[in-house]
Amino acid sequence: MKIVVDGQEITAEYGESLLEATRRAGISIPTLCYHEAFKGEGRCRLCMVEVNQGGRKSLVAACTYPIREEIEVTTSTPSIDKIRRNIIMLLYKRASGSLLLQKLYHEYGCPETKLQENPEERCILCNLCVKACEEVGASAISLIMRGTEKRLATPYDQAADVCVGCGTCARVCPTGAIEMVEEDNLRAIWHKKFELQACDHCGKYYAAKAEIGYFAEKHPEFDHPEKLCETCRKRELASKFMEYNTNYPGRV
Amino acid sequence: MKTINDPEFKKILVCCGTGCQANGSMAVYKALASRLGPDSGIEVSTYTKATGCNGWCEQGPLVKILPDDITYCHVEPKDVEEIIEKTIKQGEVVKKLLYRDPVTKKQVRSHHEIDFYRKQHKIALRHIGEIDPASLDDYLEAGGYQALRKAFTMSPQDILDEIKRSGLRGRGGAGFPTGIKWESCAIQPGTDKYLVCNGDEGDPGAFMDRSIMEGDPHTIIEGMLIASMAIGAHRGFIYVRDEYGLAIINLNLAIRDARAHGYLGMDILERGWAFDIEIVRGGGAFVCGEETALITSIEGNVGEPRDKYVFPTEKGLWGKPTVINNVETWANVPVIIQEGAEKFSSIGTEKSKGTKVFSLVGKVVNTGLVEVPMGTTLREIIYDIGGGILKGRGFKAVQTGGPSGGCIPAELLDLQVDFDSLTSAGSMMGSGGLIVMDEHTCMVEVARYYLNFLAGESCGKCVPCREGISRMLEIVTGICEGRGDSSDLSLLEELGETLQVASSCALGKTAPNPVLSTLRYFREEYESHIREHRCPAGVCRSLTEFYVDPELCNGCGLCVKNCPAGAISGEKKEPHVIEQEICIRCGDCFNRCNFQAVKVK
Repeated sequence: MKIVVDGQEITAEYGESLLEATRRAGISIPTLCYHEAFKGEGRCRLCMVEVNQGGRKSLVAACTYPIREEIEVTTSTPSIDKIRRNIIMLLYKRASGSLLLQKLYHEYGCPETKLQENPEERCILCNLCVKACEEVGASAISLIMRGTEKRLATPYDQAADVCVGCGTCARVCPTGAIEMVEEDNLRAIWHKKFELQACDHCGKYYAAKAEIGYFAEKHPEFDHPEKLCETCRKRELASKFMEYNTNYPGRV
Repeated sequence: MKTINDPEFKKILVCCGTGCQANGSMAVYKALASRLGPDSGIEVSTYTKATGCNGWCEQGPLVKILPDDITYCHVEPKDVEEIIEKTIKQGEVVKKLLYRDPVTKKQVRSHHEIDFYRKQHKIALRHIGEIDPASLDDYLEAGGYQALRKAFTMSPQDILDEIKRSGLRGRGGAGFPTGIKWESCAIQPGTDKYLVCNGDEGDPGAFMDRSIMEGDPHTIIEGMLIASMAIGAHRGFIYVRDEYGLAIINLNLAIRDARAHGYLGMDILERGWAFDIEIVRGGGAFVCGEETALITSIEGNVGEPRDKYVFPTEKGLWGKPTVINNVETWANVPVIIQEGAEKFSSIGTEKSKGTKVFSLVGKVVNTGLVEVPMGTTLREIIYDIGGGILKGRGFKAVQTGGPSGGCIPAELLDLQVDFDSLTSAGSMMGSGGLIVMDEHTCMVEVARYYLNFLAGESCGKCVPCREGISRMLEIVTGICEGRGDSSDLSLLEELGETLQVASSCALGKTAPNPVLSTLRYFREEYESHIREHRCPAGVCRSLTEFYVDPELCNGCGLCVKNCPAGAISGEKKEPHVIEQEICIRCGDCFNRCNFQAVKVK
């Protein structure tokens, strides 16, 4: 089906989110809590846009709004810009330690207010780490408590048995709020220390042994007897490719 | 053997609602029941029952005696003997237990003659206080399940049309037309549909739904049964907050009895219709009263709402079409079916039909539950039914709609209460809490109190609500503690506006109401706090200084006796003095003084 975004006609699938459709068409709507690997949850509200359904205008979160009819969308109006500025201001005041928020706070031209800043904090509770951990299959972390006390934690703030130290949470985090420290052959994350695997080729420590074991068990088809870091694995794949190409020229 | 309807058969109804129970009504009930048992030797036939809440909690424990139509107030176990000797045996009235009208000073025999009840119109609360909630027979005797029998003679479309024509709107707060909600679920394809009764009443000071669940549980079951036929649902859930222990017990009893007598189950009344109800106990999060959060909670997940671009009537519980109605809405359904839409819609205003139950609390003489036709003015509710403000003080504001409602000032006392008028006054109907505030209330502190409540009860999912409320709380707390400055009010308004439009659910969208409505009607009070560092109501401790007006003080010593800090001194019958260095500004003297001699600087 067709929808119109900022005067430009784009195609959309029935039921997909407005954000998915606009991203595919290369139209940018700012987000902080969205990642294309997961469904939108409408947490940060930065993606608020104006939807016109046959004359009825409303502000909606693009990441959760399902396209079910032909609509007209405006991605920026003075009132939307004000909402985004206030959201960035609120998030910056909450997590002033985050470099991303510091940058956005200036980019959005947020007005100076006397509200307390929190330089120790970097987490904006976007929930991406929780969803990534769920996707991995561990579910070692979650958002606990409610209201202003809501925060990210492992169960009872203890080392979680199910955590395999993969660090996906830290990698998906938009604000660098999850601490993952690697020293020698050890990785420390979420109250736990994990022994790291050295690459069989280059000797670089590249992943937690627990993580490799966990994925080998989950997906035995992808397990490899040789333990290789990402670079060496690419290199090996490339050399196999070369070899194949030499033996069977023109086949690939 | 006399039947229960024999005029000489005396019915003794002891109010055992939560309020009266807290005042010891169970002991009164047990004393009466044991003294009037079959072996009592008393010749008069009696039937003693423990009923649900009569609503007049201020005067509890209440005992009503029928058919004599006598209502006794503040009854204690020691009064039981006298009631039996005089009223039961001889038909005389125990005068000291009657209600004394504060204006006419006359003793009133029947509760029907009391203003508190006379101006009420009971539909949702029709059985409460009259029947024993634990007895199916009592409900049947009061006409229960007749509406269900009638519904079996109607087509699903007839039922939907009847509800639509009645103009019933959801009593949980948003006021969505119930018939339209039902119909939009009924037209969904498939047979997996669910009904939910929202009994997660969480507003501070509200107890309407609690009273219905405790006092008339079969009404809810009957209402849901009627909807199940109209919509085509076979499973229902009653979501009750776990703090409501008595409600859960009575609902469980009612469901058990209804199943045993064929009102619930696979073949209801042998008409080939299947419907059953389960109770889900909530963990007490305020946000779970929001319907999408309630759905996630029933599904076993953390109670976080979701954006409602697709309504639960299309995708609700487990992704299936679901109708969620509030307890009071369900309680209205059997009456509409039984008595017809026309009769129901003849009550109320143009766009809000029927009645509304309010829990009237705060600085009002008669606290309790009241049910009035939509369109009744605030003045009638507060002054005629509520008996006015305690201690004869001045009215300042009434807070409606729970924590995210607004405060309505004295100028609007003649406002006719309905869904739309309250919204246009910057407040909302909410589930029906009415908190009356007197002139000793600081409106900035009121806003701070509600923000603090919401800061703890926001689910914390979306940024505007979670961060916005806590920042608004930070600003308002600053104002209360004397750190306010000129930029505060515009920042509050700006944040409030962002919350209203950008928050995901109704909790966040309405959370700024306490601040925005007090800013709208009581802006000068904020300004006194900020500019003059003074709390005009004498509530905010950092900004208050109390002194004694020597002209008015007669030296009674009441304040001296009660001052927790020992800051007040003075000879008897001579004007007293408050020592500012010792005073902790608790305001006890100010509230206690019978001569208004304690003043706020």
